Amino acid sequence: MSAVITPPASSATPPTGPPHHRIAWHLWRSPKRELWLAWAILVAFYNLFFPVFFIVAQVQPPPQPTWDLATQVHWFHERQLGIPIGFGIIFAIGGMNAINNALIAYSMRRMSVTRAFGYSYLIIYSLSAIPGLYLLCIALIVGTLRPDRDPEAVGWLYDFAFLSFDGTMGVFLIGSLIWMVAILIDKNRVFPKWFGYLNLCNALTEVVVAPCWIFRRGVLAWNGQIAWWLDMVVFGVYQVTFIVMLFQMIRREDFGTGPLPDLARKKAQKNGEA
Amino acid sequence: MSDAGESDVGGPGSARRALRRIDGEVILLWTLPAAAIIWGSAFLLFPGFRSPMSPTMPADQVAAFYRDNLAAIRSSMILFNWFGVCLVPILILIVMQIRRMAHRTPIFSYAMLGCVASGPALFLIANVCWLLAAFRPERNPELTQLLNDFAWITFTILVPYLIGQSVILALAIYFDDQPRPIFNRWVAHFNLLVALALVPAAFVGVALTGPLAWDGVLSFWLKNIAIAVWIVVMGVVLGRAVYRERAEQRQRLEGPEELVDA
Repeated sequence: MSAVITPPASSATPPTGPPHHRIAWHLWRSPKRELWLAWAILVAFYNLFFPVFFIVAQVQPPPQPTWDLATQVHWFHERQLGIPIGFGIIFAIGGMNAINNALIAYSMRRMSVTRAFGYSYLIIYSLSAIPGLYLLCIALIVGTLRPDRDPEAVGWLYDFAFLSFDGTMGVFLIGSLIWMVAILIDKNRVFPKWFGYLNLCNALTEVVVAPCWIFRRGVLAWNGQIAWWLDMVVFGVYQVTFIVMLFQMIRREDFGTGPLPDLARKKAQKNGEA
Repeated sequence: MSDAGESDVGGPGSARRALRRIDGEVILLWTLPAAAIIWGSAFLLFPGFRSPMSPTMPADQVAAFYRDNLAAIRSSMILFNWFGVCLVPILILIVMQIRRMAHRTPIFSYAMLGCVASGPALFLIANVCWLLAAFRPERNPELTQLLNDFAWITFTILVPYLIGQSVILALAIYFDDQPRPIFNRWVAHFNLLVALALVPAAFVGVALTGPLAWDGVLSFWLKNIAIAVWIVVMGVVLGRAVYRERAEQRQRLEGPEELVDA
């Protein structure tokens, strides 16, 4: 994969002054502006994503799979406006997810591994959004569309939504394993090895969620302590960690092809040059 | 796809290596007018699009719509099923142009690559639902209405990656700092405008009537006109970039002989 390496005309030294001036410079003028912008979009995306699901649409934590049809219909009725507005926001900003995946693929490009890792991750995670996110949203929007719809059909949409969301596993499982293997065999020290193993933890959550296709009650059901709560905690930790990891990677980035320099060493080098 | 090191900077023989393989790009480019004619014909052929179907239709009327228009629904949707993905090679040509821009990283071309297949994939889900509803028109009207709702909502709401690719392309153009940028700045502004025009369609689930409903001014007309205008404008702009690159490469090849033989 190639970038045309043409240094931008702007100066590489950040200006002094109030923080918002410096942040604006990093996003628009710095030599690393493409990476910082991608990172900022990633943070903004997740800051909208979770509040929409939990507060606006109120579809997470998920409802009970054991509810009778009347309760399911009532559940949709209570979210008549929250679901279409909340998911409207998701569909409006959803494309930004491609930039998140691109930044993670870039992290693998910076490693001493074949480009196949970054490409595979990019394609798998781009694909993942359809069964893992958009189908859930569409099914729930269709569910709220007609309050007088036959309860049997509403019940089918209810199952379809939550099972496609919880039960879409392979894309996240294999995607995380690809990132993990790349980190573990990388010689450019882009990420610490323990972060590679954290990817394994995230991958394992996709294994323990599989029984949600079988059990309607208990810890393994789609809203169970293991299939949902434990997985959500692991994913939360994983997500915050990878946001910090990518931040550190961009700070250390030297646009070379060898090992990524440490921050302290970079500073020492700068002082030496001065 | 080319790899790092095949850039324009330095090294013996680099001018030759810098010549990206572009054979066949023109063929892919000229599939666009053909595909656009097919898309337009299929659009007009589908009776649900000519004057968009109302979301307030009762289930019986929806079932009757499928019973009465079987041939037109099937043929238009089979055409869309065959040729809907013709957008992908065009988007990939845009990816190839993004890679020629003066960027330090391939972030924008990666992001664009992540977008290209998802729009057509969501469209195919809508397409299958329309065809399914037409497969057994004698089905319980409630179920036909459910398939019809699923098709219309999916078709209207498939905007995330179309918005994404317009915004990504705009950012890529803004960051293309070189004396002769690949695309002019107005192409970036235009893409942001199109992205903005597609946003209301994301809120199609809010109402069954009015501008946001699936047959409304914003969710149907504004969104579909924006997509059509984007295809035409980007087709022309992309065509000019592709032909310009070919001319530049020809000039380089016809340059000093030692460069070619290096």
